Amino acid sequence: MKTRIHAAILLVCALAVCGLAFMMATSLSAQAGPASPSEQPQKLTASSILVERIVPPQDLLIPEDTRVSMYENVIQELIKTKKFQHVYRSGDRLADNAPDLVTLRLIPEAYKPGSQKEREVITVAGATSIKVRLEFVTRDGKIPLEKEVDGKVRFYGENLRATYDLAKKVAAVVNKSF
Amino acid sequence: MRTTSLGIMQDVSNLRRQIGRRSWCRRSTLLPLGVALLVAAVAEPTFSQTSPAPQNLPSHSISGVRSVIGLENVKPGVKGTITSMRAGLQFLSGKKNTEIPTSSIEDIFTGEESRQDVGGMKGTLVEAAIPYGGGRVVSLLSHRVDVLTVEYLDAQGGFHGAIFVLPAGRAAKFRDDLVAQGAKAFIHVEAPKPQDKQ
Repeated sequence: MKTRIHAAILLVCALAVCGLAFMMATSLSAQAGPASPSEQPQKLTASSILVERIVPPQDLLIPEDTRVSMYENVIQELIKTKKFQHVYRSGDRLADNAPDLVTLRLIPEAYKPGSQKEREVITVAGATSIKVRLEFVTRDGKIPLEKEVDGKVRFYGENLRATYDLAKKVAAVVNKSF
Repeated sequence: MRTTSLGIMQDVSNLRRQIGRRSWCRRSTLLPLGVALLVAAVAEPTFSQTSPAPQNLPSHSISGVRSVIGLENVKPGVKGTITSMRAGLQFLSGKKNTEIPTSSIEDIFTGEESRQDVGGMKGTLVEAAIPYGGGRVVSLLSHRVDVLTVEYLDAQGGFHGAIFVLPAGRAAKFRDDLVAQGAKAFIHVEAPKPQDKQ
């Protein structure tokens, strides 16, 4: 009787180990398969970047502090990436002579004002979110990279924290593409 | 018959004189109006609130101001004293003094917000530690603050934006003081406020 129970336990364990091994093998094969060179996105190169002033479209009203905070946070996060020798601000005269400069345009597409109190009391309500389209423009006016990113603050923190979240995501795009 | 024709002639000449006087009156009233319109057209855009001549007003200080972001060489979130002076806006935190010259200020915005009385990482932990959902009750406690946003240019022409959080009801006066000192500020369309700003 005892030997039968032991055999059953062993069988169950063996099946579990086999299943686990199969799952690991499939996930590894999915990760390890190197993408062909044609599939890999070509990395962009630029020694300096200029961040343009954020001007929302006329039909989209964004509070000034949010707009300014977005711009300042993006500049800070771009400096932290260390991908560029210089991060120029909009209107900086020194950027005129910078070689292989790329300009970053942030075009707001959506803004949903939330409430810090609602977030902290109700938890599932009161999120603040901003959606922005990124455009990396070269000196000859070409746009080699365009992407949409959004910044959110869902649970804890001030409304302006959404701009910090957005800036982090912009930096992630830069890290991936440059 | 002759008398009537003479009378008609006199009436006509009187009428002409009256018309002449009226037209002179009209000209005399229209001329200043035209000049005023011309002056208004040539003058600064009506939206601009830049004071024509900077006044030598006494400086105005507000303590307990938090610099949220955008002030050069100042860490985000630092508290200090903000002062509007003839030279510009000054933020003093400890021994560190940062100035935004009046001439470099491009625009000033003011707004209102609501801040939680118990906030930050410590506050959040305290709220979480209160049993039976008491933390949520603590979250209801909030106070109003004013937000002052100053857009300015650096020496190279680079655009900056500095955000300050001031005690409630102080930002508008501070903005007016800066404008009186010669800073630029425009009238803006109000953006949708976060729900907790009332």
